[in-house]
Amino acid sequence: MKEIQIEQALRISGVLLILGIVVEIISLLWEKPLAFLLFVGVGGALTFVGIVLYLYSLLPPAVESSSQPRPKNS
Amino acid sequence: MLAFVAFCVLPVLCGSMAASTHIERSKQTKFCLSCHIMEPYGKSLYVDDPSYIPAAHFQNHRVPPDEACYTCHTDYGLYGGFRAKLGGLRHIYIQYFGTPPRPEDIQLYKPYNNRECLHCHAGARSFESNAVHTAIRDQLTSNEMSCISSGCHDTIHNVKEQSKVKFWTPGQ
Repeated sequence: MKEIQIEQALRISGVLLILGIVVEIISLLWEKPLAFLLFVGVGGALTFVGIVLYLYSLLPPAVESSSQPRPKNS
Repeated sequence: MLAFVAFCVLPVLCGSMAASTHIERSKQTKFCLSCHIMEPYGKSLYVDDPSYIPAAHFQNHRVPPDEACYTCHTDYGLYGGFRAKLGGLRHIYIQYFGTPPRPEDIQLYKPYNNRECLHCHAGARSFESNAVHTAIRDQLTSNEMSCISSGCHDTIHNVKEQSKVKFWTPGQ
């Protein structure tokens, strides 16, 4: 279950990063001050979220102590 | 390791290179003049009158023509370039989300610092050999007296009176 979640996070992260880099390339082709806003506001944001999502997917799963059944004393 | 390079290192590298290109591009005269509000200021660089300080500097290549605005309007302090970029972002914000002033109403945020003039002119023969400059040297250095608003070099862009002046065409 966890592996599927990691795979999905990596996929989304990859898509965001590709989109971010594409937006950054488009902003370079456009020689207007608004291109800088596009670069920072859209391209930079997508890339940042993509990297954070990737790093987040690397985190080890949280220990679910409360849901673990207690061992019985015999 | 390969995934870390693909997901972290490469995007950061691409972003840094693109940011560097954007920053270098923003120094260009044509970049500054790409805003309609700046058009009269760009036109003022071609005024056929040597008393117009920006025109005289631009036409005689005393400033690099490709980076004319940036050369004079970036202070030469340590964080001058950074402050200029923040100012530029503020301009973009006002242009698209605020109420931009009319071109003739645009004013500097603070009085023009003589340091920007003296950065190039101090030590230059034409400046040093002028008796007036020598006499008021200390006042100029301390900004007590401004180069551009003291009745000496006070014709700057002067876009209000642009309809009354002649223009120089390159190649003439």
